[in-house]
Amino acid sequence: MDIKKVLQEATKEIEQSSGQQELQNVKVAYLGKKGKITDLLKSLKDLSLEEKKSLGSKLNLLRAEVENLIKNKLNDLKVEEINSKLKNEYLDISFPPPNSIASKVHPISKTFDEVISIFGSMGYSVAEGPDIETDFYNFSALNIPENHPAREMQDTFYIDDTDKDNKPYVLRTHTSPVQIRTLLNEKPPVKIIAPGRTYRCDSDSTHSPMFHQVEGLFINKNTNMGDLKGTLIEFCKQFFNVQNLKVRFRPSYFPFTEPSAEMDIAYEIVNNKIHLGTGDLWLEILGCGMVNPKVLENCNVDTKIYQGFAFGMGLDRITMLKYGLTDIRSFFSGNLNWIVNNGFSIGDY
Amino acid sequence: MKFSYSWLCDHLETDKNATEIGDALTNLGLELESLTDYSSYSKFVVATIKDFHKHPNADRLNICTVDDGTKTYQVICGANNVKKGLKGIFAKDGMYIPGTQIYLKKGKIRGEISEGMLLSERELNLSDDHDGIIELSDNFENGTSAIDALKLNDPVFEIGITPNRGDCLGVRGVARDLSAKGIGKLKPLKYEKITKLDFESPISWNIENDNNSCEYVVSRYFKDVKNTVSPEWLQKKLICLGLRPINALVDITNFITHDLGRPLHVFDADKVEKKLHMRLAKPNEKILALDNKEYTLDSNSTVIADNNNALAIAGIIGGESSGCTEDTKNVFLEVAIFEKDSVAKTGRTLGINSDARYRFERGLDKKMVLEGLNYASYLINKICGGSVSKNVDSGKLDTNERKIKYKFDYFEKVIGIKLEPKKQINILKDLKFQINQSNEKECDLLIPSWRNDIENNIDVVEEVIRIYGYENITESIPSPSDDEFVKINNSFINKKFKAIKKLKKILISNGVSEIITFSFHSTKAHETLSGDKSLKISNAISDDQQFMRNSMIFNHLETAEMNYKKGYKNIQIFEIGPIYNTSQSQENILSMLISSQENTNSIFKSEDFNFYSISNLVSKLISSLNFDAKQFNISRSTSNTFHPGQSAELNMGKKLIARYGKVHPLIIEEFPKLKNSYAIELFFENLPIDSISRTNSSNILDSQFQFSEKDFSFVFEKEQNLFEVQRYVNGIDKNLIKNVEFFDLYESKDLGENSKSVTFRVTIQSKDKTLDEKVLEQIHSNILEKVSNKFKANIRT
Repeated sequence: MDIKKVLQEATKEIEQSSGQQELQNVKVAYLGKKGKITDLLKSLKDLSLEEKKSLGSKLNLLRAEVENLIKNKLNDLKVEEINSKLKNEYLDISFPPPNSIASKVHPISKTFDEVISIFGSMGYSVAEGPDIETDFYNFSALNIPENHPAREMQDTFYIDDTDKDNKPYVLRTHTSPVQIRTLLNEKPPVKIIAPGRTYRCDSDSTHSPMFHQVEGLFINKNTNMGDLKGTLIEFCKQFFNVQNLKVRFRPSYFPFTEPSAEMDIAYEIVNNKIHLGTGDLWLEILGCGMVNPKVLENCNVDTKIYQGFAFGMGLDRITMLKYGLTDIRSFFSGNLNWIVNNGFSIGDY
Repeated sequence: MKFSYSWLCDHLETDKNATEIGDALTNLGLELESLTDYSSYSKFVVATIKDFHKHPNADRLNICTVDDGTKTYQVICGANNVKKGLKGIFAKDGMYIPGTQIYLKKGKIRGEISEGMLLSERELNLSDDHDGIIELSDNFENGTSAIDALKLNDPVFEIGITPNRGDCLGVRGVARDLSAKGIGKLKPLKYEKITKLDFESPISWNIENDNNSCEYVVSRYFKDVKNTVSPEWLQKKLICLGLRPINALVDITNFITHDLGRPLHVFDADKVEKKLHMRLAKPNEKILALDNKEYTLDSNSTVIADNNNALAIAGIIGGESSGCTEDTKNVFLEVAIFEKDSVAKTGRTLGINSDARYRFERGLDKKMVLEGLNYASYLINKICGGSVSKNVDSGKLDTNERKIKYKFDYFEKVIGIKLEPKKQINILKDLKFQINQSNEKECDLLIPSWRNDIENNIDVVEEVIRIYGYENITESIPSPSDDEFVKINNSFINKKFKAIKKLKKILISNGVSEIITFSFHSTKAHETLSGDKSLKISNAISDDQQFMRNSMIFNHLETAEMNYKKGYKNIQIFEIGPIYNTSQSQENILSMLISSQENTNSIFKSEDFNFYSISNLVSKLISSLNFDAKQFNISRSTSNTFHPGQSAELNMGKKLIARYGKVHPLIIEEFPKLKNSYAIELFFENLPIDSISRTNSSNILDSQFQFSEKDFSFVFEKEQNLFEVQRYVNGIDKNLIKNVEFFDLYESKDLGENSKSVTFRVTIQSKDKTLDEKVLEQIHSNILEKVSNKFKANIRT
């Protein structure tokens, strides 16, 4: 019996197997119950102990070798089979995806967030009031009596319904009524900002019948006009991200503040773009002042103890300045092209 | 308010130039809106057309030979008034033309060289006149600058006057304020008082039953005047204001209105009766005013009338019938003090914005009554001649000066900087306050008669800092206190804004973009969505802004349609903002619209939206706020905005939390392109977002022991609320049942019309051990028995 010959034959047959079934047949032919190697092992029983020993170990080695060859071949066959299957699963990876639009938040949302966070770091909490206001909150409590010329400067929308004073409701022309609502509700010290929608019946490229304002109010024992100046300059530095910000406060008039001021930021035109913070031209940013004692008295605040400042600024306006946007009407157009080009994606919001 | 530099200098002696004065005005709170300065026009010069002939290649063009005093140029000109000897204004190669905003460039026009341009008024921004080139009437030397030739050497200021500063509605008032700031010295008013008042006025006054709207009126009668064209100095002033000179009498009153801020009126004395009354108008009394419009008055308005007719609307506008014309021989001049509220009210009711009303409703200087009378008398007499009557008046002029006690240290308390009493007093003196009795701490102040706006200490502080300069206020940043941060952390509204930010992030990452639309509704939207009648805007400016909106869905459909027309087929938008239930109730909600139209891409199949995907998004939004949508009560939405069978609402107690589903096909009728539209309305303000407790997330497998899953199928009644079933199954064994997930819904005729088959998977797990079969089977049979009993459901096998 030639063990070497059996191994050679087995190796050859294993190598030549082209599929798993064929390999299985080879396995049976050598290692099965009636297989060649099994037969050889069976034939050992007729031999002497000495022969059993020497031939037995050779046969066991042969069996192990053949088993190993079959195992390796089986592995190769499996890999081949999967690979040939994958050839039929190729996709056209170059098929162009459809044009998708990135979803964005509105620039005003980002401004709202920044305003709340900058003033939040200075200790201001957020307050609110309704858009449909009474004459009292929007005007008379703010020291704007019925026939005051300041009323006509604010083109007011009226609602076809009257309040308990028998005055028509108005769409608030500014966020200032939130000052009154807060002061009538809370005892000083009061430190709030009130962002929200405001309305005036005016519409052109620089005016929209609806726009956004933020009101600020800080009432305490010694809050003075220096604090007002410092607070607003600090806000503008942070919001516009300009450290050396040239600003100007100039006298103005609002019935609900006294002294009143308007704050301007210097700018210049560089390469057809507005550059904020330096230059000889001025942009009006906001109106502000020390709260008129008459207003505080209307809210039952003791003016012998408390005083403070208030300010109001257009959120659309500061957004337009910060990002170089020109037409306020596009803010409210719902035009997705505009939102996609000017809004902020989730990472920037 | 407008005035020229030279006009200001009639009242102010100053060495400051126009730019310096402009800066000072702004620093005084008299904001400079524009300063028209023509100094750059010195480069344009007078030139004469020496000769011209037709352009060989163009009918309408001429080839002119132009002499500017130093050289001659060939100029191609298209103006129709070209003629030999014409003197005009010439611009050379390279010069900037302000009216067309271009730089001139030498070049050929239809083959002929042109070396410059003769200018029209429009090209110099002087007017809209472009009928021809400027023709100078005077005989200026060639080469004279355009500034001299066109008399442009007087810069014009336009300033904004805030409503409290009625005293600056005359050039003199502005000069007075500038002098207080140290910009110059106020000159005395230069005119001669007429002393020869030698006859009694034939016309007299009677103030009657006028609701106290007229405090005082004084007049003079001018006999045998000759009304003419105004002298050039007066015409120039009116033109600078943008007013058209009419005749001397009218021009004088207009001039004094703007020079002294003192409105006055002239009647043609021959067109009125001998007795004039201040009285309330009769109901529906009519008057044809000087603006050629007829006004119908009500009994709240005061008129000046004779026994027959209303002649003028008091303090607002004169009447056409009694106005002065070139033929006027005798004049009756009226100077009065009208109550400001009454003028404001009448003016507003009638919609008349006159220069007189503007000044009366801001309050006048009572001491200017006689000054105005004297000044006008002088000018009328000087320009129109004739003789002047004695004064005739009615009422009583109260010129008592108002007094206040001012405390110097109030300044530091409000402004935050120290300013010595002496310095404060100096500023107040410059502003013409009279200081009586002052000591270290306080003083008595007499308020100038023109400052009706000053009533108390804070007004005085404002005056002092206004002159001292806002730039001198030292700025400081108040440091925030711990209490303030505690307040922010506890504030519901601050938490709400945080919640809003989370919602926005979820939506953005789900492909939804944020828009902001107006808070308005068109009449159509209002009616379709049954808005409350108290939401009507009385003075709407546009058809689509007639009401306040009670939903955003209509606005969003309009937005979607507009974007659809721009080529967007799949629109996913949201807005967070207010909707209005009534005039007294509004709430902020999130409203989202998904409108996806047919998708023709066979490779990229976009996600198909249906009620269930919307419901899933609602659940995601709610869980981003740490609530579990399945804890709320679900029911079919009754809102007529939604498809009745494919919409739902979630409620917590009586509070509506969310409403969502397919937009009602009746609404979609208006938007035929948006057939497949779904909306979500999330009423996040109704969620207790300030409560600290978070929902226990029962579906998190937080144990290390083996879990077991088992599917159950039941046949329920068709309208069975599955939220209830889910909550019920969860509650059967709160400790061991970790999750109940519904995954199949099946309806068919075999089950019966009124039935549905539902399958859910229950996950069971213990914290302490691996459960044995017996325990599991006990739970399984428990579920089968309890669910079938509780909901009258059949177990499906």
